[in-house]
Amino acid sequence: MAGQGIRRREVLRILGTAAAAAQFPGFSKWAFACGHVGNAALQIKPAIYHPQFFTAAEYAMVERLAEMIIPSDGTPGAKEAGVAEFIDFMVASDPEVQYGFRMGLAWLNAHAEQTDGKRFVELTPEQQTSLLEPLGFKDKARPGEETGRQFFRMMREYTVTGFYTSEIGYKALDNPALKFYAESPECPHHGDPEHAHVAQAHS
Amino acid sequence: MAKQIYDVIVIGTGAGGGMAIKTLSEAGLKVCAINAGRRLDPEKDFRYHRMPWDMKYRGLDDPKRRAQSFGYMDNEYTKAAWDHEIPFTVAPGTKWMWPRCNAVGGKTNFWGRSSARFGEIDLRAASLDGYDVDWPVTYEEISPFYTRVEKMIGVASTVQNRPSNPDGSYLPPFKFRCLDFILEAGCNKVGVPYLPDRCAQLTQPHEGHPACHYCGECTTGCDVGAFFSTPYFLLPKAEATKNLDLRTNALAKNVLVDQSGQATGVAYIDRETKQEVEVYGRAVVVAAGCIESSRIMLNSKSRHWPNGIANSSGQVGRNLCDHLYGESARGYLPQLLGQPSFPDHVADSTIAWMPRWQNLKDPHEEKFIRGYSVYPDGGCTEFPWFANDLDGFGSSFKREIKRRYPSPVTFGIQAPSLRSDTNFMDLDPEVKDPYGIPVARMHFEWDENVLKMWEHSKQVCAEVLRAAGGVLEGSGEDPEIPGWSLHETGTCRMGNDPKRFVTNRFGQTHDVPNLYVCDASVFLNCTDKTTTISILAFSLRTSEYLIENFRRGEHKAA
Repeated sequence: MAGQGIRRREVLRILGTAAAAAQFPGFSKWAFACGHVGNAALQIKPAIYHPQFFTAAEYAMVERLAEMIIPSDGTPGAKEAGVAEFIDFMVASDPEVQYGFRMGLAWLNAHAEQTDGKRFVELTPEQQTSLLEPLGFKDKARPGEETGRQFFRMMREYTVTGFYTSEIGYKALDNPALKFYAESPECPHHGDPEHAHVAQAHS
Repeated sequence: MAKQIYDVIVIGTGAGGGMAIKTLSEAGLKVCAINAGRRLDPEKDFRYHRMPWDMKYRGLDDPKRRAQSFGYMDNEYTKAAWDHEIPFTVAPGTKWMWPRCNAVGGKTNFWGRSSARFGEIDLRAASLDGYDVDWPVTYEEISPFYTRVEKMIGVASTVQNRPSNPDGSYLPPFKFRCLDFILEAGCNKVGVPYLPDRCAQLTQPHEGHPACHYCGECTTGCDVGAFFSTPYFLLPKAEATKNLDLRTNALAKNVLVDQSGQATGVAYIDRETKQEVEVYGRAVVVAAGCIESSRIMLNSKSRHWPNGIANSSGQVGRNLCDHLYGESARGYLPQLLGQPSFPDHVADSTIAWMPRWQNLKDPHEEKFIRGYSVYPDGGCTEFPWFANDLDGFGSSFKREIKRRYPSPVTFGIQAPSLRSDTNFMDLDPEVKDPYGIPVARMHFEWDENVLKMWEHSKQVCAEVLRAAGGVLEGSGEDPEIPGWSLHETGTCRMGNDPKRFVTNRFGQTHDVPNLYVCDASVFLNCTDKTTTISILAFSLRTSEYLIENFRRGEHKAA
């Protein structure tokens, strides 16, 4: 089965390992009620999302972390794409990762209180960023924060997956899968197989 | 009422079974085909242009189900098509990853479509390097069958004059993308080939089948049949003859024999009623896929065949070979950073390959014998998989994902394991499937030779990437677990000596002249090429030999 996207498997691995029975929650932003399924009932958008797994306090943290990882900075981010709902749903469906999320969030809160005397969501954006930077940037890593780094990495994976599997994420990348093509697409840069001119134009 | 006797019972409807069914029924023989799973409905069972957000789990599927599933192709898009009710076990020390599609058409519904012919260098490999034995078939003999199969299914490629890759007749190739030209330039500097792959995917309408519409969803099932699969290309032709009785959800249990040990039919389990059913035929074709065919034969024990039917050689289930897969290198092409997104993956296909370049002049030129091929790939994919390897978070992270999006490249190896006495399947003495049939037990490890190929490929691919101006970021730590490729071969090898081989050079079993094998289990080994087109060619040849045996009165027609 050559050509079956070695990397596609990596994506699938990220989220799929364990056993859980999950109820399908009422999504507000990305329910599988796509147009051509045509089920109007599924398109009703509840005003408030009720988390399946996270407590209200935990969910507020997940929302904030997702927004910080992929911010709404002139173009839509995790917030618009409903990434927190995605994460809640996937974690609710997967007991294998529930402990990691719960402990990670607790670690971050404890860390916030220790550093700035407040729970994470109560900090200013600047304080939040300075707490996360040692967890998210390799060259800012600090000893003793392995648990936090591990959690942040998982949180980032789920955020990236949730965002770039949403329609908003597809549009953000101008994902070619959004269009149809009449024929086998060909490189448009004739006469420069090594693409030196393209590289120069962007260097 | 007299019991109905068919001319031929065919077990399986994948590439091998599908070709047998078509060929036999077109020759006027009455065929009963039995298939372990159901018929797929493309409208319902295929992805049908659904996007990730159209699905409950974004195509990733419920973790609960994924824990029980096997492999990367078995996901939310195709979950109705894969079937894991029939388990298998592994011997201590063996790892085996094995997604299975029991639906009508089998794995041809979702295959990768790479379609290179075996060459003389493969069939005569033993004479060249002294390892194992030659195939009992020459390239000259099998070549016309490849030509006919290529005409039937349509293969897009070019004539390449490579010593390891005999050319055939091709539809226009897929066009090279930016990344192909860049990597080709790198390959030229290193001195390895970079060419259009051979892909059984229609770049123009062919034999009544529409051309590809570039939706990029091939491996979740084509809704218009623009690449070869038996349900689109072979079964309709067989059904048009009115000579085919196709029974679905029919799990073959064993081959039935008469007092002289000849095959008289097949016993199967109707998976809907759970009842055992017998069908009778003058000849039986086993084409359930390498492992499953061997399992059926080993489970066909009788007074005549205490070790399984047609197994006087003891070779049924032995000699298992598989393709080693792995990511030999990954990185990105700085030339493409920040470029507008480009439809690199809308053919979802191996546009290009680096066909075997090792041990061509001298079979012992390298530290390993034989050779491997590499499938380069990259560009804008459905998901920015590289994002998890980037550093940081926030606006800079988001911008970097967008900038990197057109630039990643990977190199995937396809390398053949060597035949050995320690790689085989047998029946698990204890574990049975839900219908009480003993399951297959796998015994397999990568051999030293194939692991040397893996190491070699990592060096060469890194060199190619750097020569192309690319940035090397790493490679797979280990190759994939055996079974990934779904290219098992060798468990009913063909050969002239009945003491050492299960079938003769035509796929007819030595012990039971009215029992034939039409899948990759008859192959001597797996070579560096993908198996499907060769299964089709060898099955066509075996089927015509079987028809000839009916004409000569060896098996009396119904």
